[in-house]
Amino acid sequence: MTPPAALSRAGTSTLAIAPTFDLERVLASIDSMATQRPVAAQIVSAANSDQASAKELSRMLGADVALAGRVMKLANSAFYGMRGRVTSLQFAVTVVGFTTVRTMATVALTDLDDESRLPEDFWEVSTSLALAASTLAPRFAERPQDALCLGLLAQLGVALLHHNDAAGYAELWATERSFAGRRSAEVQRYGISALRLTAVALQQWSFPAGMVMPLTLVDDPASFQGALLRTAFEVAARLTDDEHEEVPIESVSSGQLRERDVLAVLDQVRTDAQELRTALLS
Amino acid sequence: MRPATERRDVVPARQRVSSEHQASLDIMSAVFHGVAVSDAMAIMVVEPLGGAQHVSWSNDQAVKLLGYAQEDLAAISFDQLLPSLSGGELRLLLRRERTVRMTLPVRCASGALLECVVAAVPAPGGRRWTLRLSSTSNEAERALRATADAHERRFSTLTERSPIPTLLSEQGMRLAHVNDAFCALVGVQAEELLGTGWMTTVHPDDLDGVIEEATAVLVGGDDAGEGEAKARLVRADGTERTTVIRFSHLFTPGVGAGFVGTIEDITERLAFEARLAHQANHDPLTGLPNRTLLAEHVAARFVPGDVRLACIFLDLDNFKVVNDSLGHAAGDQLLVELAQRLRATVRPGDLVARFGGDEFVVVCQDVGEAGAVALAERIGEALRRPVALGGVELRPAASVGVTVQTAEHTAAEELIRDCDIAMYQAKAGGKGRITVLDSDARAQARDKLRLVAELREAIERREITLMYQPIFSTADGTAVAVESLARWQHPQRGAISPATFVPLAEESGLVSGLGLLVLDETCRQLAEWDRLLGSAAPARANVNVSALQLDANLHGHVASALLRHGLDACRLSIELTESALMKDPASARQVLQELRDLGVQVSIDDFGTGYSSLAYLRRLPVDCLKVDRSFVAELADGHAEITSAVIALARSLGLSTVAEGVETVAQAVELTRLGASYLQGFSLAAPLTGDDAATWFATAQAGGASTVPLIPDRHPDLELM
Repeated sequence: MTPPAALSRAGTSTLAIAPTFDLERVLASIDSMATQRPVAAQIVSAANSDQASAKELSRMLGADVALAGRVMKLANSAFYGMRGRVTSLQFAVTVVGFTTVRTMATVALTDLDDESRLPEDFWEVSTSLALAASTLAPRFAERPQDALCLGLLAQLGVALLHHNDAAGYAELWATERSFAGRRSAEVQRYGISALRLTAVALQQWSFPAGMVMPLTLVDDPASFQGALLRTAFEVAARLTDDEHEEVPIESVSSGQLRERDVLAVLDQVRTDAQELRTALLS
Repeated sequence: MRPATERRDVVPARQRVSSEHQASLDIMSAVFHGVAVSDAMAIMVVEPLGGAQHVSWSNDQAVKLLGYAQEDLAAISFDQLLPSLSGGELRLLLRRERTVRMTLPVRCASGALLECVVAAVPAPGGRRWTLRLSSTSNEAERALRATADAHERRFSTLTERSPIPTLLSEQGMRLAHVNDAFCALVGVQAEELLGTGWMTTVHPDDLDGVIEEATAVLVGGDDAGEGEAKARLVRADGTERTTVIRFSHLFTPGVGAGFVGTIEDITERLAFEARLAHQANHDPLTGLPNRTLLAEHVAARFVPGDVRLACIFLDLDNFKVVNDSLGHAAGDQLLVELAQRLRATVRPGDLVARFGGDEFVVVCQDVGEAGAVALAERIGEALRRPVALGGVELRPAASVGVTVQTAEHTAAEELIRDCDIAMYQAKAGGKGRITVLDSDARAQARDKLRLVAELREAIERREITLMYQPIFSTADGTAVAVESLARWQHPQRGAISPATFVPLAEESGLVSGLGLLVLDETCRQLAEWDRLLGSAAPARANVNVSALQLDANLHGHVASALLRHGLDACRLSIELTESALMKDPASARQVLQELRDLGVQVSIDDFGTGYSSLAYLRRLPVDCLKVDRSFVAELADGHAEITSAVIALARSLGLSTVAEGVETVAQAVELTRLGASYLQGFSLAAPLTGDDAATWFATAQAGGASTVPLIPDRHPDLELM
């Protein structure tokens, strides 16, 4: 999927000199995060289990008031259509689903909710990406809930890189607007793309393989498993970047979406994105 | 001295360490051998060699899994085995501080990529890793996945092709799936319905109910896992479908709770039910609400003590004439036309109902008496407009009764009943009138209703008694018969005239019971007289029969009474008015013939006061004519013409005659002279109780009948059975 041109642009000379980037340290930081937000870490760990229950998750959530508040707010947001009927934390967990709770815990765990430590339009892109993935999921025989969470967390690696090289990454982010271009620039600068870093982190936290695999296959144009996320990136780019050079949607989506269908998807994503972002972050 | 066993345990220290070391080596060797030949897990050891990572050791299972010879595995660079970790990403797997587990494609000797879970465990020192590989697609997993896929496909096919519109939510109200049937039902593409898009198809007024029910199902889990909501769905073209959405709880382990919603489109069913309900509550001819709906309508709006309702009752005048002369189709056409006029004349919100036949009722709310009368007048004017039927121009008219609710009305049906009464009053006062039921009229009507109830009880308790008036033969002046006359002594009201209670019984359906009572009691009394008086008992009793009793049952009732009391049929004479006979002469003739065949005599009562056809009279099987008392009374004024003519007519037809109302001896003499067969009147003998009659007849037998004093009765008697 990555165009050769993007690869060639990756090592642009305008970028500041890469710092001594210690991938080992970044990876180790993923572990250390758990000790700083133990409740979130516990939820990230527990929610994956088939034995997970709304009762148990809500009990855990009760120990992290800020996180519990966000789950309640999200459950009552227009996004879930419950019109304020969610009055208990346990029901809130039921409504948003375990994977979403886990995703929110991951967001908290990795400081993704602190926008001051992220590239400028990080969440605008992430919510668009998530909603595009969720909206399109049925076309790709994927579960919308999982697709939403994957979209929300896909840029976790961006945050990790930004945390470790704020100035350098901000410049890269501003310079390379296309997702493919960014990935190439990231590999050039850090030896690993942010998306790959996300995959490693999610794998480390035992997120299901079904969520991790698309992250590793997104750049393989022949891979159907990466097609949903690839398409979601294209949709998000069309929504968030005025200067985005559109890539034909049929090829990006492995033939699952036609250009004439895109407009409705854009409308829907645009409507829900702000709502979702507010519910997740405020 | 130490025991031998202890001596054997004493081993030099060096020898002991060497022995333990040997044991450890043996254990390690055993473990290593076990790992090396294990068929449970593929294991490799990776370490840097010449600037790249290489497989320095692998077990048999690794060889078997990947298809390489052990030497080949050692020869190739390790990153060649893991193509997805190119560009230095191998270090994501080979971490020095922790074990890393990844799902990765591993290149086999054939060049194919095998998806494996790879766990890399760093050895102390951080330069060597033990890797465990297990294919994600071993046989058991493949079988499980195939089964799961098959289930998924079956489920998917089932829902996709199911004609039942189906929704599938995996998170709150957000849909993950809708089937084609639902898309077709609302006329919207699936993409627009997923997420919360489907909620826009639910009618805004019904959405809360739907969410409420779905929420209960989401919360309820196994205990309250099902629910349903009635909701209108708004199609893309703006039309509405009424549906029932049934929700079932859906729990996916590791994911959370959602629901399955199946939708039943009940639009057609409701329309059908509405049609049925309409048919049950409406008149098919005019389309107006019928009597049932009228009663419901009034009952729903009736509040006792309130004065907001008014009813207008209309009965078309001379409708029977239209039906009889122009035919029923024309009659129906007239009813439809008048129904339309009624609807067009009343105020919005007023109800027009067809009460039955040619009767209509209008119910108005928030209107006083003046307003109701004004509306009744407008209706009267509207009805009077000419209508052409079968080439004939008619000017329909109606008798109209108006009732306005008062504090005295305690139930809705009283209101309708009162305007019915008012209408009858209007009709009685002359057709085409409007009558408002005032409080006096209402009191009279209620009194009449009470009297009917009391009459019913009196008949049931046999409180209607009989008096018997002797009838004399002009041949020898002896009493040969009696006429039974019904009396009602009311415990509070005193004696009630037959002129009051007989028509009341006829109006209220009590005449049959009353008639049977009179017939049975007369027969019982005759039998008792026979027992008491023997040959002195009256030879015959005359019993009056109402026109309403003149049917096929009469013969059976008479025969039954005679049988019950052991009497011959010749002991009874049945009296019928000529107007009763003329209602349906053919049928009357049949009934009379049956009575004659039984042996019972038949008399025509009040002869000359009706409009008898003499031709019919000739053919009717009767024995006697009773000359009405009004003609007998004329004798005192010197007018004997009619009485004389009736007696002569009877004689020429071979019938006997009874002159009624003989008040004076002079009348008796004159009637005898004119040829009357029998005489009946107060001057001769007043009506007597059964016991008094027994005494009277016993005295007569002894030769003292003519000495029986006259008992004047101030009330003219009305005869009934």
